Amino acid sequence: MTGVRLHPFTLLAIAGALPALAWILPAPAGAAVTAGVALLLTLTPGALLTPAASPGFTVSGSSPGRRPGLVVLRTAVLTAAPFWLFLLLLHDVPTTLSIGLRITTMVASFVWLVAALEPARLVEAMVAAGWSASIAYLLAATLSAVPVLKARAQRIVEAQRCRGLSSRGGIAARLRALRALALPLVLSALHEVDERALALETRGLVPGIHRTPLAPPPDPVVERAARWVLLLACLSALIRRLM
Amino acid sequence: MRSLTLEGASFWYPATESPVLRDVSLEVSQGEIVALVGALGAGASTLLLVAADLAPRVTGGRLAGAVARRDRSGIVLPTPWTQLSGMAFTVWDEVAFGPANLGWPTHEIARQVDRALEQLELVPLASRNPTTLSGGELQRVIIAAILAMDPGLVLFDEPAAELDADGTRTLWRLIRLLANEGKAVLLATSALDALPDVADRVVWLEDGAVRAVGKPDLLADVAVCDAGLGTSVATVWRAGGLPGPYPLTVAHAVQRWR
Repeated sequence: MTGVRLHPFTLLAIAGALPALAWILPAPAGAAVTAGVALLLTLTPGALLTPAASPGFTVSGSSPGRRPGLVVLRTAVLTAAPFWLFLLLLHDVPTTLSIGLRITTMVASFVWLVAALEPARLVEAMVAAGWSASIAYLLAATLSAVPVLKARAQRIVEAQRCRGLSSRGGIAARLRALRALALPLVLSALHEVDERALALETRGLVPGIHRTPLAPPPDPVVERAARWVLLLACLSALIRRLM
Repeated sequence: MRSLTLEGASFWYPATESPVLRDVSLEVSQGEIVALVGALGAGASTLLLVAADLAPRVTGGRLAGAVARRDRSGIVLPTPWTQLSGMAFTVWDEVAFGPANLGWPTHEIARQVDRALEQLELVPLASRNPTTLSGGELQRVIIAAILAMDPGLVLFDEPAAELDADGTRTLWRLIRLLANEGKAVLLATSALDALPDVADRVVWLEDGAVRAVGKPDLLADVAVCDAGLGTSVATVWRAGGLPGPYPLTVAHAVQRWR
């Protein structure tokens, strides 16, 4: 599959601009547009990336199977749905629409970003732009925490299913399974943080390093200009709203 | 030339009153392989962390005594899956993570990575995603990742724990090769049977203190065997009620028997 590979900063700019515009533009029309764009974006993460695999400086050129767009869209919709429910319980329909669309924009933008942005590319881009490698790693690790924790939770559920604890059935059974999942998930994550800190230190990721960018992603002029346009659009929308 | 020197080193983890290491003095020279043996909780892993300058700098806690390091160190921890950078989609990129952090020029990074991959027989896996590897393969990737940083002092904590028999043999050969290249090697292992052929010296740790230091013959010592730290041959000899000194290896046992 081939397609446009956006620079990580461009992905971040889009994911940041959409929620900003959702809150700045008049609701519900403005928020409806931004939510629509964000939900459409969730269908595209696969198309935005080009899998490639050859050894040697492939940080920005390879990608482990990206999630199909429909899965990302479903994740965004399912994450946003509870907010709509609570809003509907607390507010009238116009207010629910206004806030709900804005929250949907935020959720969809974040879910899309997590699906589309490869942490390794972000680190490379930030290091190439002169950022500290430690800060770049911290940001990238935060973005990759969701899928990592999800995979770990899946492994714990499978292990417990092997030991006879089913996560299916009535509410009581599901609550029991949830309790049995939460503790090992939190404890193993904490334990891993300790070991990972030691491992990263020994592999040279310490404050103040000057990391060599192995394969900095290309940052075309068009994308740099597009990022400025997004920033200016947000600023002008804000000024217009305030005036 | 000494690569690592500990003089009267004691170490306390945070919020603990009793030290995990007690007055440990130890030297490791360039080209030397020193093995730490001891029961669980004897302090071998902590000693490696101190030697790697990770304790107390990263772990917290308190260190007393003197620790001098002449060379940059690299440590291979026992659980390979927690040592992945999480920032690489191929084995090659994973191994290059450390050298890139050192700020080396790209041609030097490529040279060291290719060399480490060859040493660990990982070239066929270079384009694989590290998260799809088996435990043994992953362990070899992590060892390669440390070696690619060209440390003068290499520390191994149970390096053979995830490896199969072939992988273990390759590892011991590699460790000997590293020593021949002039690197100092300090390893904590429970693979006692390999030590007569691998280690130059053996350090017996008990409750955080050095109980004895000597040649690998130490692993056939009566007191060591009593502590469950003898080689398999020495342990069988002892279990058979045969007189000491116990033989260290099968070859020694055959000689004694004749």
